[in-house]
Amino acid sequence: MYPLISITIFLPLLGALLVLFMRKSPAPAVHAIGIITSGLTLLGAIMMWSRGVSETGFAQLEQIDWMPSIGAAYRVGVDGISLPLVLLSALLFFVTFIYSAKVRKQPHAFVALMLLLETASIGVFTALDGILFYVFFEVSLVSMYFMIAQWGHEDRQRAALMFFIYTFLGSLPLLLAILGLYLGSDPHTFDMRVWISDPPLEGVAAMLALIAMLITFAVKTPVFPFHTWLPAAHVQAPAAGSVILAGVMLKFGTYGIVRFALQMTPDAFRDAGLVILTFGVVAALYGAFAALAQSDLKRLIAYTSINHMGYIIVGVAIAALATDPAIRAVALDGSVLQMVSHGLVTGALFMLVGMIQDRAHTREMDQFGGLLKVVPILGWSFVLAAFASLGLPGLAHFPAEFQIFLATLQVEPAAIIVILGIVITAGLYLRAIAQVFLGEVGEKWTPKTMPDLNYRELLALSPLLILTIVVGIAPAWVLDIIHKTTAAIQF
Amino acid sequence: MERDLTLLIPEIIILLTVVFALVAEMLRLPRIALTVCIFGLLLATVQTLPMLGADTSVFGGTFRIDTLSVWAKLILLPATVLSLLLARAELAGTDREGTVYVLVCLVSLASVLLAGVGDTMVLVLGILLSGLGSFALVAYPRNDFATEAAMKFFVFASVTTSVMIFGLSYWFGGSGSTLLSELSRLESSPSVAVIGLMAVIIGLGYKASLVPFHFWAPDAYEGAPVSIAAYLSVVPKIGAILAFAQVVRDIPMITNWPLIIAVVAVLTMTYGYLAALVQRNVVRLLAYSSVAQAGYFLLGVVAVGASPLALQSLIVFSAAYAAMNLGAFAMVMLIGRTIETFKGVGREKPLLAVAMVIFLLSLVGIPPLAGFVGKFLLFGAAIEAGFLWLTVVAILNSVLSLAVYLRIMVPMYQQSSRNGELSTTESTPFITTVWIIALLFTIGIGVSAQLLLGNIN
Repeated sequence: MYPLISITIFLPLLGALLVLFMRKSPAPAVHAIGIITSGLTLLGAIMMWSRGVSETGFAQLEQIDWMPSIGAAYRVGVDGISLPLVLLSALLFFVTFIYSAKVRKQPHAFVALMLLLETASIGVFTALDGILFYVFFEVSLVSMYFMIAQWGHEDRQRAALMFFIYTFLGSLPLLLAILGLYLGSDPHTFDMRVWISDPPLEGVAAMLALIAMLITFAVKTPVFPFHTWLPAAHVQAPAAGSVILAGVMLKFGTYGIVRFALQMTPDAFRDAGLVILTFGVVAALYGAFAALAQSDLKRLIAYTSINHMGYIIVGVAIAALATDPAIRAVALDGSVLQMVSHGLVTGALFMLVGMIQDRAHTREMDQFGGLLKVVPILGWSFVLAAFASLGLPGLAHFPAEFQIFLATLQVEPAAIIVILGIVITAGLYLRAIAQVFLGEVGEKWTPKTMPDLNYRELLALSPLLILTIVVGIAPAWVLDIIHKTTAAIQF
Repeated sequence: MERDLTLLIPEIIILLTVVFALVAEMLRLPRIALTVCIFGLLLATVQTLPMLGADTSVFGGTFRIDTLSVWAKLILLPATVLSLLLARAELAGTDREGTVYVLVCLVSLASVLLAGVGDTMVLVLGILLSGLGSFALVAYPRNDFATEAAMKFFVFASVTTSVMIFGLSYWFGGSGSTLLSELSRLESSPSVAVIGLMAVIIGLGYKASLVPFHFWAPDAYEGAPVSIAAYLSVVPKIGAILAFAQVVRDIPMITNWPLIIAVVAVLTMTYGYLAALVQRNVVRLLAYSSVAQAGYFLLGVVAVGASPLALQSLIVFSAAYAAMNLGAFAMVMLIGRTIETFKGVGREKPLLAVAMVIFLLSLVGIPPLAGFVGKFLLFGAAIEAGFLWLTVVAILNSVLSLAVYLRIMVPMYQQSSRNGELSTTESTPFITTVWIIALLFTIGIGVSAQLLLGNIN
């Protein structure tokens, strides 16, 4: 068996180095390398998918000694929670490379940074060693900083700085928690599998570690009131950066909450379950209400991300509070599927907003009107993605949110108030669609100033939209993989 | 006697190197002096290798050949070679250029001596020797700035060293010996032990530029040639920190020395970064940053004896610090001394900018770079020694440090305000060699820290 996971992780890095060495070659060649590398990475992720996961613990393990003196090793592997996220990341990077093949500003650096970010992202989801996880986690931060600072919009420097300082500050508590888990384990090790199967901390230490981890992941997710960096970063980031930020990097937070907080300090998590649940409910409702108040299309989608991430927090908290393993599995299934759905749907939405902005150079909703007549394909794509985002049955978010709400009703019925968020998002998306795509066509927007999607854009967008429908109608192929792990989670 | 001399071969080689280089300088052959110095230092490094794993002492316990002192040689001597290359690039052709190389080697000898200190008299000797060389190095340009900086440095050093010698006399009086290993006799007289400890903190604190004994550092670094600032911020500082670790090992716990040093660590880190935050001059910024980094070193010193990670963390962070700090200073030599000159470097010299970003990120402690591994181990050591609060403070300071280093990083990717080409220093091959080596180590130590860890027992 060749080391498929490691190949998948480091293939993009190899591509990035290749790009750096061909500094004289023209932009199309560089973008071609980006597309090919990320395509091969996607292929690797699909092969990982076909190898599957095991019902007990992690599968497809690969391990090399790294710092044996302190119990750190290069350890990677997947389970039902991480494998869907790996596939999602690989897919999103692939379509983003296709979408951004038009970038002409420093294309070498752009492609190299994106590929570095891809390595870091897949690394975060597959790392099974505390230090390794932290390494990938921080590398992603640095590459995203430069992504925003170099290719962002007008106020990019400030937004990038805010993003960097915020999430760097946020990630340091995790370092403390990792050190705590390391010193608590006996013998000392950074092996996350050991931390999960035999949680090393208990009592006050576990609670402190949990709080540290929750701070880190709440900033990353982001959960109200740690979310202020997100709208700024999204609005200023280039479209490609937004797709990755929302589609992949927000999942670091929710994935971390499941992988670290829930699995490594389960008892403390259960004790704090109600508090975490409250945070989730507040985040979901806050995100929805704040989105309602936006006039900038991109900002609006950024805030709905906070809403969707809130549902995930609710799901995980419900899983911790549930006493019945079956309900726990339902809640976790819903949460993990929600991560995947959000990646697909919000990825598509940010891409669409990027396409609108490329044409119109504005994102203010009141500048538009009747675009459905001018750009039917773009318009209907947006309508489809927006409907998916508001949780319409038959589209990707529905099966995920349905399971979360189902489990919530059984465990903590009061928290079902979160369902209000669906109503509000429905309202705000309908308003956005009406304002931008229906009504009178603005004089500015003719097929000349506003051409419909071209071949490349269609190619980038369609996989996301197709999968949105597929996951909505037949989620079983993803849920089977997720369920294998969630059904076996013991704590 | 013969055994002792065999174990001292590296030190003897350095001493002979100094003598030969001095002769070459007297004959006005600076290039030969440089070659002799580099060759001698490398030879001494190679001669140190067989001693890995040794744990003994020479001349009746006054000088220790143990993990710390052996690794100090393996780190500081190559770092000195890199500094010499930088100095050559900056000072080639100036009057009495060779004396710089001689003095640098002499200060390195003193630093190596400090790292293996086993006796209070060796401590005094090391500090004086290292100080004397450093004053002359700072004053080398012979302009007003340099002279003033050297004068401040000298006065400051004289006072702190005198205070230290005075305090050490209490230890001698209390334990009846100048040997550090006899300090356990002070178990019953804690006040004497504390007075001596304070004296050592003052004396070594000046050498390692710990707050509040750091005042000389920014002025001295700014007045001195950049390459000398780079050297002073790395080699004598690491030597002094390791001497600290050697001394505290033997102080009776009754003095609660870890707490005292922890407080100094907090002051040093926080003040260093706060002061760095307002600097416009990159050399001064890096000077304050190196003050703050000394505070991180102290996390390892605090844990000496309480955590097996302590020595490992000190050594790994020493190597990391030497690589990244020398690299950052090399970049300053290439790009310029003020933040203004860094504007737009990202566009004009992308490779230099990427290297500088890597050095700075490593100084912040971002993985997978060397600085991260070092700080991570330091944090682990401090937590294991029961200093969780200190680690939290150190981590908060890392955030502060990000703000500091971003002040250099961000302008590099802004529009340049400069007209015309970036002016780079002449004779860049030497500097290029240095920064490439430093870069390799900054990345390499991060990825393959085991090579170090596996050999530190």
